[in-house]
Amino acid sequence: MNKIDLETEKIREPKDYLEIESLKVTYNQRGQETLALENVNLTLPEASIGAIIGPSGCGKSTLLNVVAGLNPSYEGKVFLNGKTPQESNEVALILQEYGLLPWKTVWDNVRLGLQIKGVSKGEAAERTEEILTQLGLLQLRKRFPIQLSGGQRQRVAIARSLVLKPELLLMDEPFSSLDALTREEMQELVLKVWQENGLTILLITHNIEEAVFLGHKIFTMSPCPGNILEELTNPLAGDHEARGKVEFLELTNYLRQNLRGRE
Amino acid sequence: MGLKDITNQFLHTIITIVLILLGWQILSMLLQTTAFPPPGKALKSFTTLLYSDILTHLQISLYRVGVSLVVAAILGIPLGLFLGKNKRADELSAPFLYLTFPIPKVVFLPIFLILLGIGNLSKIVMITLIVFYQILVTTRDAARNVQHEYVLSVQSLKASNWELYRHVYFPACLPNILTSLKLGLGTAMAVLFLVETYATREGIGYFIMNSWSSLAYDKMFAGIIAMSLMGFLLYLLLDTCEKIFCSWVNP
Repeated sequence: MNKIDLETEKIREPKDYLEIESLKVTYNQRGQETLALENVNLTLPEASIGAIIGPSGCGKSTLLNVVAGLNPSYEGKVFLNGKTPQESNEVALILQEYGLLPWKTVWDNVRLGLQIKGVSKGEAAERTEEILTQLGLLQLRKRFPIQLSGGQRQRVAIARSLVLKPELLLMDEPFSSLDALTREEMQELVLKVWQENGLTILLITHNIEEAVFLGHKIFTMSPCPGNILEELTNPLAGDHEARGKVEFLELTNYLRQNLRGRE
Repeated sequence: MGLKDITNQFLHTIITIVLILLGWQILSMLLQTTAFPPPGKALKSFTTLLYSDILTHLQISLYRVGVSLVVAAILGIPLGLFLGKNKRADELSAPFLYLTFPIPKVVFLPIFLILLGIGNLSKIVMITLIVFYQILVTTRDAARNVQHEYVLSVQSLKASNWELYRHVYFPACLPNILTSLKLGLGTAMAVLFLVETYATREGIGYFIMNSWSSLAYDKMFAGIIAMSLMGFLLYLLLDTCEKIFCSWVNP
C-alpha cells in the first residue's frame, strides 16, 4: 500500500481546508435530549476528497448539515478555511434526493443559487450555460426534474453546486438511488469535476467500494452518538485500475470488518 | 399540447354541451311545466335579454365575486404560507381556526347587513370571509407538507426567508392554492346568489329571483344560463392559470 501516485503527492503538503474539533450536536425531540454527535474530530486537506462511511443513523447527515451551515446550534469547533459554516459562502451541498425543485426547469434550478447570491442576470445566464455545457446538460435545460433519469438528475444537482464555484462540495449519499452502471459513471464524473475544479469534497456513502475509489481520506463512523472511529489515508483513491488490485480488496475487507465489528 | 389534443378537447366540449342541452330538452318535455322551459326558449330569452338589462346585472355580480376572490386570495395565501412554515404560529392559531372553520359564516349575513349596509361592501365581505377560510386552510396544510428536502436545499444556498417563500413555499403550494380557488369559486357563486336575494335590486341573483316572483320563467332561465356562464368562464380562467403556472406537475 505504499505506492504514492501523483494525486496523493499533491495532497500531502497543503493545509487542511476543513477542521472539526470536539463537535457535539444534540437534538431536542419532544422534550427529550438526543445526542446525535459527540466528540467528532476530523480534518480534510485542501483539494482532496474525504469519504465518510458508517451505518445508517450514525449522524452522518447531521455532520454534513453542520458543515453546510444548516445547523448553527452545535458545540465545538468547525472551520472551513478558517471561517465558521455560517460565515463561509464557499460551500455547496448536494442532498440525497438531489434537492432539485420540481417546479423549476433544469436551467432555473441551476441558476437559482446565482440568483440568490445576487449575481447579475447576464453573468448568471453565462455561467449557467457554461456549466450545463460542461456536464452535457444543455439540451435538457427546458425539462423539469420529473422528466429526467436518475443519472441526469444527479448531473443537474452537481451542475447546480458547481455553478457557484464552491471551495467545498458536500455530498450526502449522492449515488444511493442510482443503478450500478450509472453509479460508476457518476463516480468518474465526480473525479473529473474534482480534478478540473480543484475542489475539496466531503461525501457520505454507505458503499465501501465507493469510499475506497473516491476518498483520499476515509472516515468510519460509529452510531449513537455518532463518532469518528478511524481515519485512514487511502493511496488508491482516484486510481481507475484500483478496483482490480489486491490492495483494493484488502482495504475494503478491512473496512468491512471494522464496521461490522462495531455494529 | 399538440394541435390534435386541442381539437380533441374542443370536440369533447362540444359533445358534452350537446348532451347537456339534450338532457335539458328531454327533462322539460317530461315535466311539461312553464317553470322548466326547454333550452331553445331559455336561450332565445337569454340572447334577447343580453342586449337589455341582464348584462348590467351580470357586471355587478362579476364585480362582487371577482373582488371577493382576489381579496380572499391576497389575504389567505400569504397567511396560509406563513402558518404552514412557522410551527409556533401554526400551533397558536390552530385551535382558533379549528373552532371557527366549521361555523357556516353565511349566518352572519344579517349582522353584516346591519354593520356594513346593504351596498356592495356587505356582500363582498361575506363572500370574502367564506372563501378566505377555504384558501387559508388549504394553503396552510399544503405549506406544512412541503418536503423538508426542498427547504434544506434552498437554505443551503443561504437564502433569506423571503426567498424561501418565493422559490419553495409558494410554488410548491400553488397547485393546491389553485384547487382551493376553484372550490372557493363554486362556494363564492353559491353565496353570491344568496346575498343577492336580500335587500338589493342589482345582480344576477336578484334578476333570477325577481323573474321567478313575476313568473317570467324563460327570463329566470336566461339568468341561470348567465350565472352558469359566468362561473364557467371564471373556472376556465383558473384552469388556464394552472396549465401555465403548474405545468411542472404534468409536463
